[in-house]
Amino acid sequence: MTDTLLAAEGVTKEYSIGSRTIAVLRGVDFALARGETVALLGSSGAGKSTLLHVLGLLDSPTAGRVAFEGRRVDDLRIDERARLRHARIGFVFQFYHLIPELTAYDNVRLGSMMDRGLFAWLRTRRALSARSKDLLERVGLGERTSHRPAELSGGERQRVAIARALIAEPAAILADEPTGNLDSKTAADVLDLLFGVSRERGLALLLVTHDEALAKRCDRVVRLHDGRIVD
Amino acid sequence: MYRWFLALRWLVTRPINLLGVLAVTVGVWALIVVVSIFSGYLTEIGRHLQSSTSDATVVRLPDDARFARIEEVLRRDPNVAAVAPRIVWQGLVHPLGDDAGKAPPPAGMAELGAPTPFVAILGVDFEKERDVSGLDAWVKDVADGSVRASDPANPLAQVGDLPAVMLGRQRMQDDGARRGERVKVTTGRLVADRSGERLDFDDGEYVAAGAFESSFAAFDAFNVFVDIATLRAQLRSGERRVPDDWCNEIAIRLHDPRDAEATVARLTRLLDAIDDAPRGPGLLVRTWAEANKAQIGNVEHQRSLMKLVLFVIMVVAAFQVYSTMSMTVTEKQHDIGILTALGARRAGVLSLFLTSGIAIATVGAVLGVGLGCLSAIGLDDFNTAMRAVFDVDLFPVRVYNLKRVPYELDPTWIGQVAGVAIALGALVAAVPAWRASRHDPAVSLRND
Ligand SMILES: Nc1ncnc2c1ncn2[C@@H]1O[C@H](COP(=O)(O)OP(=O)(O)OP(=O)(O)O)[C@@H](O)[C@H]1O
Ligand SMILES: [Mg+2]
Repeated sequence: MTDTLLAAEGVTKEYSIGSRTIAVLRGVDFALARGETVALLGSSGAGKSTLLHVLGLLDSPTAGRVAFEGRRVDDLRIDERARLRHARIGFVFQFYHLIPELTAYDNVRLGSMMDRGLFAWLRTRRALSARSKDLLERVGLGERTSHRPAELSGGERQRVAIARALIAEPAAILADEPTGNLDSKTAADVLDLLFGVSRERGLALLLVTHDEALAKRCDRVVRLHDGRIVD
Repeated sequence: MYRWFLALRWLVTRPINLLGVLAVTVGVWALIVVVSIFSGYLTEIGRHLQSSTSDATVVRLPDDARFARIEEVLRRDPNVAAVAPRIVWQGLVHPLGDDAGKAPPPAGMAELGAPTPFVAILGVDFEKERDVSGLDAWVKDVADGSVRASDPANPLAQVGDLPAVMLGRQRMQDDGARRGERVKVTTGRLVADRSGERLDFDDGEYVAAGAFESSFAAFDAFNVFVDIATLRAQLRSGERRVPDDWCNEIAIRLHDPRDAEATVARLTRLLDAIDDAPRGPGLLVRTWAEANKAQIGNVEHQRSLMKLVLFVIMVVAAFQVYSTMSMTVTEKQHDIGILTALGARRAGVLSLFLTSGIAIATVGAVLGVGLGCLSAIGLDDFNTAMRAVFDVDLFPVRVYNLKRVPYELDPTWIGQVAGVAIALGALVAAVPAWRASRHDPAVSLRND
């Protein structure tokens, strides 16, 4: 377990609606090693997104702990969690979540602005602009940098989102059904890209999916059932 | 950093934001244009009132007041530059033409600037008066500088064997009177008799020796100038006895008019200390501003009222910015979620929307200030053009007795308006921004 990047230990997550309490995660133990690709399967409503959010520090567990590089992080201050999330974790979502008013290029650049003040950003902007262009080139959108999300296809949007997730040079990518909205051909291309960059950069990849065939391309497959991880 | 980037991008790409900008622009524009015109008008009247009243005056001098003695006292003050006697009296003036017997119009018809025989008769010593008020300039034609009077050296000098009266140029025109024509000047005064007091009238025949024109038409319409000696003689006839150099008002020009208040206080003390100084009830030394307090205060009050009324536009603009920001936050739930996922902090999200609101208000304020200043400067030309082309008088300058639309751009006021606009923008954006920062990213990022 020396090379564990991201781990959940006995994580539970409960939502209370009115007087009712729903336990979505009931003691999840899970570890994502450095550079490893893992598929997370589970029926709809099983709590896959919830687990992804807890692991990505977007949400706090009700009980249990989340560790990053061996250090407990779920109890960090909200600002420190934000910093960690920015620097080390990249997200890719089913619905891309690009900012509609920004071009592909600006959407990618935006990912590099989060932790920088105005002056810090101005100092580093040349390098970051070049990196944004390189990443768009890498995801195959070198010609589409000035297009807005509305002018791009679903697959292209997801490529922009992947480039954005990579700009801050994270150690892990958490992808929540990144191909859920794409036809199988496009889905395969996007997954090729994700696996490709993960391999090139030694990124850990947690891939939430419904597709057993896609899941098989990962190093490891885990299933979320009844609020627990089963292999 | 991203908050500037996004706030500015949103500002230019989201049409709804332009609505907020427009509202702020209109509010700032209105506050600047209207208040600038009022301020310009105030300055204009102030300048005129100062030049007609003179920097300071001694008023309500009693019947035994002697100019020479008081002048001597007043001149002891180092700030006193010139002193002139005046007799200010009420009266009626009408031309002695064909319609010599014409009755005065009913009181209601005597509107501002309309011909009315009721005037203030100002008895002045031309040589002295020209040193304290604007009279010297008023008798000169603006175009060629020539003196509009029979005797340019002393426009109030006798013409033949009749005394001279100077009428306002507009009054001369309205009355159809020409220079050299005879006019009747009637004065009245209270005379004590056994049953109490009675009003004695006295007619004098004068010659319209010239015309004067100040920058303020109302002054021209309601004042005439005559020689002080003539008026004194006319008022003295009968039982009333006054000294040979009697006057009921003394006009003072100061070396430094800004020091008027302190000078007036010193002059009051000087006059009080003199044993034989006139001690009429209510004798008063006052600055031109005090003398015209009512008139200036009236316009100032109107200006304050306008500020208040126009501030309502600003409040409406603030509501517009609020609803714009509120809609933006609601619409941007997903973007807030993704920004959080990318590493934005709560404070960052808060300040993003705060910056957005401030950006809207700032752009609106800058546009409003620019347009406001341009409008104020160009209003007179615009007004003239509208009058010439469409025969529409947007700003009837004559009603305000002015020659052009006045304006005065006060940097302090402009700064205040812009500052308040931006502060209001920040204030109303704070609530939606707070809501945005409380938003749970996990909710908007779930795939449904
Ligand atoms: N904020 C919330 N309040 C109450 N219940 C919630 C909340 N968020 C999630 N849930 C519930 O938690 C359960 C798990 O949701 P989650 O989105 O993690 O499922 P999922 O495995 O990602 O499903 P899908 O495959 O459909 O995306 C669902 O039953 C959902 O209704
Ligand atoms: Mg899900």
